Amino acid sequence: MRFFDSHVHMVSRTTDDYQRMAAAGVTAIVEPSFWQGQPRTEVGTFKDYFNSLIGFERFRASQFGIAHYCTIGLNPKEANNEKLAEQVLELMPLYICKEGVVGIGEIGFDDQTAAEEKYLRAQAVLALEADLPIQIHTPHRDKKTGTIRTMDVLEDVGCDPSKVVIDHNNEETVKEVLDRGYWAAFTIYPHTKLGNQRMVEIMEEYGAEHIVVDSAADWGISDPLAVPKTAALMKERGLTIEQIEQVTYHNPLAAYGQSGQVSESDWEGSEGVDPAALFEGNTLLRGGMDVETAMSQYLIE
Amino acid sequence: MVDSLLKILKQSASPEAFDWLEETVNAQRDKFEQRPFYYAFSGVSRWFDKNALVEPAEQDLKTIDAEVPGFTIHNWDEFRLARVILLLVLGEQEKSVFLENLNALLNTADIREQVAIFSAFPLLPEPDELVPLAREGLRTNIVDIFDSIALDNPFPSAHFPEEAWNQLVLKALFMSRPLYRIYGIDLRANATLAEALSNYAHERWAAGRWVSPELWRSCANFISNPQIVADLERVASTDEPGRLEAVALIVAKDEEGILDHLRDRVKTFLDDVADGRLTWRTLGEQI
Repeated sequence: MRFFDSHVHMVSRTTDDYQRMAAAGVTAIVEPSFWQGQPRTEVGTFKDYFNSLIGFERFRASQFGIAHYCTIGLNPKEANNEKLAEQVLELMPLYICKEGVVGIGEIGFDDQTAAEEKYLRAQAVLALEADLPIQIHTPHRDKKTGTIRTMDVLEDVGCDPSKVVIDHNNEETVKEVLDRGYWAAFTIYPHTKLGNQRMVEIMEEYGAEHIVVDSAADWGISDPLAVPKTAALMKERGLTIEQIEQVTYHNPLAAYGQSGQVSESDWEGSEGVDPAALFEGNTLLRGGMDVETAMSQYLIE
Repeated sequence: MVDSLLKILKQSASPEAFDWLEETVNAQRDKFEQRPFYYAFSGVSRWFDKNALVEPAEQDLKTIDAEVPGFTIHNWDEFRLARVILLLVLGEQEKSVFLENLNALLNTADIREQVAIFSAFPLLPEPDELVPLAREGLRTNIVDIFDSIALDNPFPSAHFPEEAWNQLVLKALFMSRPLYRIYGIDLRANATLAEALSNYAHERWAAGRWVSPELWRSCANFISNPQIVADLERVASTDEPGRLEAVALIVAKDEEGILDHLRDRVKTFLDDVADGRLTWRTLGEQI
């Protein structure tokens, strides 16, 4: 089986992670532009960050046989520094048409301020101009209100929900997001976001249609193997292979494939992994004991 | 050159992609506009096929080489050729416009875009302004970018100062790149480089690591240096693949008899050198 993790911040991860991801069957990833843990103070650091997403990080991933794509955007936290935000917005047109840029993201709300809404709108317009999908970050605080407000803004701008992935959903947001025609992504992230048991339960209720599972692994305590681990748990809990493949591979590919910048042929020939090998004592995994040990505890809470 | 390259690209590209590029070239030549040019340069990825290699006829390659010796589009993909064509149009603009926009493109370029930009250097004006950009580019650890400057590119040998050239060769070795593909490698050999290469070989030997036989090529004209003669004696004393061939290539050029004591050791290969079956290229290709 092969996995497409459509949200993972590899600039914050090590080569050990790349090795384990490749061994566990992750063949393609999307790295969204995000907040790097502390606020940037100059537009030049954004430029160099975007350069690393389309340059060195893509190269690093390729060394492990992983196809690397990215989304370009101004994250909501830094949208509140309006002087900087204006400069970043001027910079973005240089990047959004580039090879492997599969969307504008991750954008949305953090504190849900007026400035955040202003730059969410401006970037949604940019996505329309460049005919690109949008990757939405939904807020940690007051999530439900923020998610609904995000969709209202996007629809007001004229975005087509089928070209938007709303990320970091939970039990409280999923229904409306799906009802309004968006892709609903779920981030399996220990402690602060969603555990994968809850993910299985959500799928038992809503099925696999328009659902995407990702890791959002970053500089915090997070898990770059969250997608394969969740697939293993899903199999154990009786979801079908078709459903598992849909949410961990086909759906993210279909959503971001609308950019015209990602296709399966980019990683053709890469080996898949049997999810059964993840928990049935099978020793077929490439990468040896390290991955097997990592994968043997696939519950993320 | 724009027309010859367009003609070659036409043979492999889809008609829609080619028409788009031709229209863009015409429009930008008519009146250069920055934002549309940036979109076009990155937007090449929306029209062309990155997996499709351009298919120049033998005659096309000869024509190009005659126009700019050493410049080749052999094994290029469509992205690279389409972007080089656009860069040639940029090169037709006045100096300040050309340099300002070239820098802006390079500063925001992805890997394939950087490869295209450096590949275009031998065709672009203001080479003195481009040298620092190429030297900066060589500081990369991304192999494709390094190769686009160092290999099959006549720009460095034509324009690099000696210190930059020497770093290029040393780093190519360090990155295990094929030295026979460095254009002008014999022409730019110098005593300082030969000594640095010898020192590098000593360092590798001390660490018990493999030393590429290609390393000795740039030492061939500096056998008046006793350290290099001693190195070649050491190289000739082992049977590792390629080593005796390398020594033979140097002995064959030695008119002063400095290496006569090694002739017997490499005798069989000297015949191959004499009849052209063994060259630095054939040696490089087999490593």
